[in-house]
Amino acid sequence: MPQTAIDDRIVRVDAKAKARGEAMYVSDYAFPGMLYAYMIRSSIPRGTIDDIRVPDLPEGYWFITYKDIPEEGRNELWMIQKDWRCFAEHDVKYVGETIGLLVGPDRNMLKYLADRIEIDYTEAEAAITIDDALALKGGPIIGEDNVLCQLYVEKGRPVEEVFREADSVFEETIETGFQEHVHLETNGAIVTIEDGKYTFYASAQCPFYIRKAVAGLLGLESEDIVVKQTTTGGAFGGKEHFPDVLCGPLLVAEHRIRKPIKLIFDREEDMLYSVKRHPSKITYRTALDKDGNILGIDGLVIYNCGPYLSGSFVVLQRGVFHANGVYDIPNTYVKGIGIATNTFPSDAFRGFGAPQTLYAIETHMEHIAKRFGIDPAEYKSRYFIKQGGETITNGHVVERVVLPEMLEQVLEKSDYRRKAATYAPGSGRGIGISFYNHGGAFTGNGEQSIIKAHARLVKTGNRVRIEVGSTEMGQGFQTTLRKIAASTLGISIDDVDYDNPDTSKVPDSGPTAASRSTMIVGRLIERCAEEMKERWGEGDFSVEKEYEHPDGHPWDQSTFRGDAYLGYGWGCCAVEVEIDSLTHEVNTVGIWSSHDIGKAIDELVVHGQVNGGIIQSLGYASMEKMENRNGHFRQSSMSDYVIPTSMDFPKQEWGLVDNPYQWGPKGAKGMGELVFNGADAAYIDAVERALGIEIHKIPMPPEDIEEALRDAQ
Amino acid sequence: MGMTYVPTTLSEALHLRAEKGARPLAGGSDMMVQSKRGIALAPEFPYPVMIITSIDELRGIRVLDDGSVEIGALTTAAEIAASEDVPWHVRMAASGMGAIALRNSATIGGNIGNASPKGDLPQPLIMLDASVVLSSIHGERRMLLDDFILGSKRTALSDDEIIRSVIIPPHDFTYSFYRKIGMRKANAISKLSLSAAALVKDGEILDFRASSGAAGPKVIRSQDAEKMLEGHMVSEIPELLPAFLEAWNNAISPHAMPLYRRNTTKRMLSFFLSEISSGAEEGIIGGGEE
Amino acid sequence: MLSEIVFYVNDSKVSFIGDPLTRLIDVLREDLHLTGVKEGCGEGECGACSVLKDGKLVTSCIIPVGAVSGSRIYTIEGIRDTEKGRCIIDAFAEGGAVQCGFCIPGMVMAAYALLSSNPHPTETEIRKGISGNICRCTGYDLIVESIRLASEKGGDLWA
Repeated sequence: MPQTAIDDRIVRVDAKAKARGEAMYVSDYAFPGMLYAYMIRSSIPRGTIDDIRVPDLPEGYWFITYKDIPEEGRNELWMIQKDWRCFAEHDVKYVGETIGLLVGPDRNMLKYLADRIEIDYTEAEAAITIDDALALKGGPIIGEDNVLCQLYVEKGRPVEEVFREADSVFEETIETGFQEHVHLETNGAIVTIEDGKYTFYASAQCPFYIRKAVAGLLGLESEDIVVKQTTTGGAFGGKEHFPDVLCGPLLVAEHRIRKPIKLIFDREEDMLYSVKRHPSKITYRTALDKDGNILGIDGLVIYNCGPYLSGSFVVLQRGVFHANGVYDIPNTYVKGIGIATNTFPSDAFRGFGAPQTLYAIETHMEHIAKRFGIDPAEYKSRYFIKQGGETITNGHVVERVVLPEMLEQVLEKSDYRRKAATYAPGSGRGIGISFYNHGGAFTGNGEQSIIKAHARLVKTGNRVRIEVGSTEMGQGFQTTLRKIAASTLGISIDDVDYDNPDTSKVPDSGPTAASRSTMIVGRLIERCAEEMKERWGEGDFSVEKEYEHPDGHPWDQSTFRGDAYLGYGWGCCAVEVEIDSLTHEVNTVGIWSSHDIGKAIDELVVHGQVNGGIIQSLGYASMEKMENRNGHFRQSSMSDYVIPTSMDFPKQEWGLVDNPYQWGPKGAKGMGELVFNGADAAYIDAVERALGIEIHKIPMPPEDIEEALRDAQ
Repeated sequence: MGMTYVPTTLSEALHLRAEKGARPLAGGSDMMVQSKRGIALAPEFPYPVMIITSIDELRGIRVLDDGSVEIGALTTAAEIAASEDVPWHVRMAASGMGAIALRNSATIGGNIGNASPKGDLPQPLIMLDASVVLSSIHGERRMLLDDFILGSKRTALSDDEIIRSVIIPPHDFTYSFYRKIGMRKANAISKLSLSAAALVKDGEILDFRASSGAAGPKVIRSQDAEKMLEGHMVSEIPELLPAFLEAWNNAISPHAMPLYRRNTTKRMLSFFLSEISSGAEEGIIGGGEE
Repeated sequence: MLSEIVFYVNDSKVSFIGDPLTRLIDVLREDLHLTGVKEGCGEGECGACSVLKDGKLVTSCIIPVGAVSGSRIYTIEGIRDTEKGRCIIDAFAEGGAVQCGFCIPGMVMAAYALLSSNPHPTETEIRKGISGNICRCTGYDLIVESIRLASEKGGDLWA
């Protein structure tokens, strides 16, 4: 078979099985004697549980609660902290908190029983919004001030000193809403016992996270639990920590029942009772000189976390570290607060905290530019950070920054200059532009100090098997990683195997998150392959490598100073819209983007990621509205929480710039999240120009445009 | 939970309706969704149901002698959208319902019987003075659709009746307008919709009508507002417009997004009438691609 | 109440005995083990469970089995080894249409229905043809391009 070269156009390895309907997702599995589970959840946002009345259970049915956790176990799911309980005990902190798990052979009977479980609560006043939580509505949920986590970063001179020198100060607050992942496959997992070990089949990004999170429930070690990832139908962060919330109760049930048990959420459960993107409230106060030059920025970033920390502190850190966007602002102070509320805990979602601050800083910069009569693209480009430039965390940008080239690409393809000059504000037509980046891999020295990823290549005859814990969830990693291995070894991709991970068989290469897989795990496999190639004649053997931190990236996790990331992906996007003057319906007529991802391992995979990320971002900005009333999400289905269809946005024009990254495989950097991070701001910029107003929030469906127009009058 | 029947003839269905109180389930796109219970679970209804999908007598579109168009209750949205015999406003509404798969299932009888304020078909049908034919073992009766739909999810259907067909009387309009504003561009529930039409001869407005969907508990049509324009000359529209819009605004009662629904309705009506008064070319005003 | 409902799935006769309100998707997935039919939303909104009923695209999650008496149903399993089915599937693979894949069997069924009635659709017609099939991964461009490819490569197959 011919050798696979890195630039070959190839067919994704998983495409045909999926298109033929042969790929096995978790809901497609059945085991002999398998039981089903149905989750019983809190129906109030905050209060105490006074009584739970369960109808008489027929033989073969169980109602599992915290009382079923054995003495040696603890009622906690170990994510980053251990604060998220597996089961609520005497109180509840959000609507949808797990109270129990009904288990039995017949789903009709489970539903019948579920409808007849009665729970008495004494309800307390809940804090739902960031403002509720800051006002300590109903009393603090956490500590004395509802602050779950906080940090600040400082660069340059003290901002108060800078503000005293300002000719003017421009302050505004920008808000973003909840966003639901809507992976087409809902959450689901099956627990069983195989070879004497508790074994999960799960739709998940991070099989090793599940082991760690649930083992303590039974007083076990991670290694005592086996997790096998099933073909995962989309995740976007929604299956990073959240599968723990399904697998925990399942493990406690399995401990009692010892039969295969399947738990699959239907779409309504997945909408109402799963994690969401953190809503945010971001205030920038910017000191300006008389010509509109920025002297300094004072920022306050608040994220609505729900009552448990889950991944929120890391999300918040990423938000704060991206709060200056792609700009070199001389003096900054940004404070970040993760606030506790009684909403469903917020958690990872593509971009992981960066999209909120990037949207806010882009909008803020654009507002300043317009106030001084300067074209936003021109104004923003004055502040582009350069190689060696100081980041918001006092680190330095190590790589060459090619934003000017990217901007030029987008300006030319979109005909931005002409359009920006000729479309009058309020004319119903507008073009907008945005710039963004995304720090690749775990924050700071996390890769070195926390994850310590391992990867392994195993040679058997002329075939090579990749053994890593990284997962395919649609992003193309099974193709990308095989291609890295094959092209390094000089063999055909058809001679490389890489199965969905089984934690008992593969080393832990860290979570499939943080745009780290290609950059970190891909590089590990490249290193394994380089060694294997040299020793190819040795017969059957394996090569395993551990992560090595590149020199010259100082970081202090206690003060958040230094190089927050090993490298960044960069992006520029322009969006053009027409707005119907009768209905305020926005018609997007053009989308142009350029990205620096170092090097594309597989251009077709990258093409799909760019298109999909940008459309998710445009959905976030335009139509994806998830409201919460007294703790209950109001949108519960795919008809009231709408995401884009094939008709909503036009075909995209996209491009890449070649800027190989020194420490990535074949020069590649992370890109899965980058491509989500900026189209929203370009879209809103275009909408603002078309309407001739300023907008301070997303999403902006037509009814919100109506209100913005009224408020602008 | 009630019994479920699968009649194959209209007569069988009418008997089940009268004797068992079974309610008809046609395409399923409303009822199956409203009563869904989750994965691998059949929906449950607190009353007996009959699945009438395979009763061919209730299917089809035909033009009657007087030029009216009769659409059988089980005719799907896709069939309506594709029929040249069906008036333009109704075809527009049918072609904008959900997406292809839904249009292949959803029926006109179901859309009317469900009486959702956001239903797509009642809105243009009411503007066109369509009536429903209701059948029972005792015979048939016919009533205006506007009288049949009483409010949100409420109709005048008797316990022994089923919807047999819808009859749309013939019309001749000089100008027509239709807009549905969905939650997105396709496959969307209606946020707001409006049909409007006018017959103008020698500058005189002989007939003017409009109807609003999703702007209140049922489709809104204001005879009072319509009468303000009828008999007047097109040239008088600018002076009549404020009062007309005010009357229309008083007729609608959106419970959510009131500002948006009221203002958008006003803008659309105002646009349609201004186009007429400024001597627009006859036909469809403001696009209207199917 | 138990009724007998006879219909055809992928050319095999099926005799269903049970509640006629049973969702078609559950008969296909649970009884016939046709797990290529996916449940994404359970309310006819996402298209992942799309099948052909008497040649027309429908969502099997909102159709009661009592409504398919005498009908001919085709699922992805019934078309994937036909010439037309292979043409679409190959084009989807080649064109990069597949990411997480959960929407794809339904998307293939929508493409099959589209090309069967319109062998050479424009980009807009393709976008309309799949507008009831929600995909969260791809942003649709490569799916649209792949359907165009299937139209082109299929040639007389679709005429």
